[in-house]
Amino acid sequence: MNVIFTQLLAGLQVGAIYALIALGLTLIFGTLGVVNFAHGALYIIGSYIAVLLLTGLGLNFWLVLILTALLLFGIGIVLERGLMRFFYNRPHTDQILVTFGLAIVVQEALRWRFGANPLQYPIPSWAGRPTFFYGAGATPPEGSLAIPMPFLTGFVPYPTFRLTLILVAVLTVLALFALLRFTKFGLTVRAGMRDPEMLRFLGVNITQKFSIVFGIGALIAGVAGVFGGPIVTVSPDVGMALLVPSFLVVVIGGMGSMIGALVAAVLIGMASSFSVLAQNYTSDIAALIGADSGIVQTLFAALQQIVIYLVAVIVLLVRPRGLFGKKGVFE
Amino acid sequence: MSVASADPRAVQPRAEASARRAGTPRPLLWEALVVGLFAIVVLTMPFWIIWINGYQVLANHIVIWAMFALGFDILLGLTGYLSFGHAAFFGVAAYVAGLSFKLVSSDIIPAMIITGIALTIVGLFIGYLTLKRSGIYFSILTLAFGEMIHALVKSSALQQWTGGDNGLTDIPNRTLLGIRLEEDLVFILSAIILIVGFAAARQIKRSPFGLMLRAIKENPMRLEYTGVNVWRYKMAAYLISAMYAGMAGFLIVVLEGYVASEYLYWTTSGEVVIMSVIGGVGTLIGPMMGAFFLLYFENVVQAEIGEQWLLVLGLVFMFMVIFVPGGFADLIRKTWRGIDKRVRPRRHNVPDMEPNADRLAGEPRTGSV
Repeated sequence: MNVIFTQLLAGLQVGAIYALIALGLTLIFGTLGVVNFAHGALYIIGSYIAVLLLTGLGLNFWLVLILTALLLFGIGIVLERGLMRFFYNRPHTDQILVTFGLAIVVQEALRWRFGANPLQYPIPSWAGRPTFFYGAGATPPEGSLAIPMPFLTGFVPYPTFRLTLILVAVLTVLALFALLRFTKFGLTVRAGMRDPEMLRFLGVNITQKFSIVFGIGALIAGVAGVFGGPIVTVSPDVGMALLVPSFLVVVIGGMGSMIGALVAAVLIGMASSFSVLAQNYTSDIAALIGADSGIVQTLFAALQQIVIYLVAVIVLLVRPRGLFGKKGVFE
Repeated sequence: MSVASADPRAVQPRAEASARRAGTPRPLLWEALVVGLFAIVVLTMPFWIIWINGYQVLANHIVIWAMFALGFDILLGLTGYLSFGHAAFFGVAAYVAGLSFKLVSSDIIPAMIITGIALTIVGLFIGYLTLKRSGIYFSILTLAFGEMIHALVKSSALQQWTGGDNGLTDIPNRTLLGIRLEEDLVFILSAIILIVGFAAARQIKRSPFGLMLRAIKENPMRLEYTGVNVWRYKMAAYLISAMYAGMAGFLIVVLEGYVASEYLYWTTSGEVVIMSVIGGVGTLIGPMMGAFFLLYFENVVQAEIGEQWLLVLGLVFMFMVIFVPGGFADLIRKTWRGIDKRVRPRRHNVPDMEPNADRLAGEPRTGSV
């Protein structure tokens, strides 16, 4: 039980980062119809800004989180106004190419300015110690964060920082859904996702709304960057490395579907964390099917490295439009 | 075409008629002239590249990457499919060829056969999964499955054969019928393959098959309605471009004698995309010019501007995408048109950007779109 619980948390944590990046991608794709290959670049800009603010100015972590998010929001709007706007009427290939070019430029600019080696990310002191989940009958150590979980036996420690990431991701997602569901702005944006033409006829300034949407997408990527920094490392090529699984999340969930992106992110996170778990039981599995344990072990090791792609292959074979994909969306 | 679409029955014979028209060969002399001129430029590259501060091996690399970019153009330029995973074919061919040299024979002929078989399998697999979708989906999926192969090759399970991060080393000297292939022999071999590949690509572009590919780019759905099996044409184009990419990967191992794991990484796919776009998509010659530009830039200009060449390249790439989407080839054609007013205005060959581009250029639309 304890092991499964730990892997569950690990899966959620991996899924949380993918979800934050993929939500921004889906949001931008759904409203503007643009596939943003530079979204990973926005994420890594967030990481770098966070490191600079934390080490350079020594600011409080939560202040840094807010500042980074606001900065990324601004960057997103500038990007939309200054670059993406001119590509709405151009073919999708051109949109992909220009954002791809931007991703390269950002990556190389960061490498030029800060070097190719990972930057040190100072984890705030409150997050340095692990949080303890404890089962019935166990008493947690004095002075540490502790959460009771009746079905556990003994303790399960988990890094507090990662736990915070999961929490913040959940809050961000809820806030985003609330924004889109319950505000007038959200109503306009959702209508714009359906039929931008009609909205323009009705006299709604949809372009202005859309640049805010792009900003929100960038903001969420920035939040992911602040939390992903110490977990994934802060180096220039991380942006592109995270973009690929995030794309998979978007595709598995179904292009333009926010719920789909969420479900797919958790699915991918779980798949990668539980395939790690499966490696501990290779000898049992080998005994069960009567195969050589060495072969099973190498097989599982390989499986673990490509499990997210395998999930994608299976989903696409069964449901080519993705889990929540709708017919006719960018086909 | 708009008239024809009103009556679906009229489309088929008309498409066939124009396919026949496109299929009739241009004067053989003209074709021979173009390919011959190309051959001269390619074969003399080791000499003239030295005048512009290049060196022999750079010519080798340019010819090999030109092969890669040429095949990529059959998929992107003709069919309109932007793949971000062509590194898979380049890299798989390199690995298979390397393993064949190590385990089977140092002769390149058996290696070529084995590589061809492996490429077909990988091409069918990725193609089956990705060609179901077009446009954005296709780009994303090819990127993902390219990365999957990269992860698989580097994984601990295959490490004992592929060498993991270090790549494949200790490849014995490559031979052809007992003759050891040195640098200049490899150059002649790759140059001949490139020239043949160029002639073949020109034939493909003008053949009824090539017309079908261009029809897929214009409007796959309408083509489907006329009873054409679009899927088969797409797959064929995909496999052909995979073969070109694989041939490039094969030649790079023959030249270098080792396989880097980066050959499978997305940066390799990215590079061929950059080459094609900078050079001019859909023109066959453009992507090869792009290959020349990128490698020349990487090796010669880098000496001038130092480590930051990739940043500059990224900026150049963005500039080209934003302001010159037709690439060098388009730039040259426009300049030429400016000099010689008699040249008939031609339509763009960049994926789905035809009508607007020409209208924006202030020209009357040609054809019957």
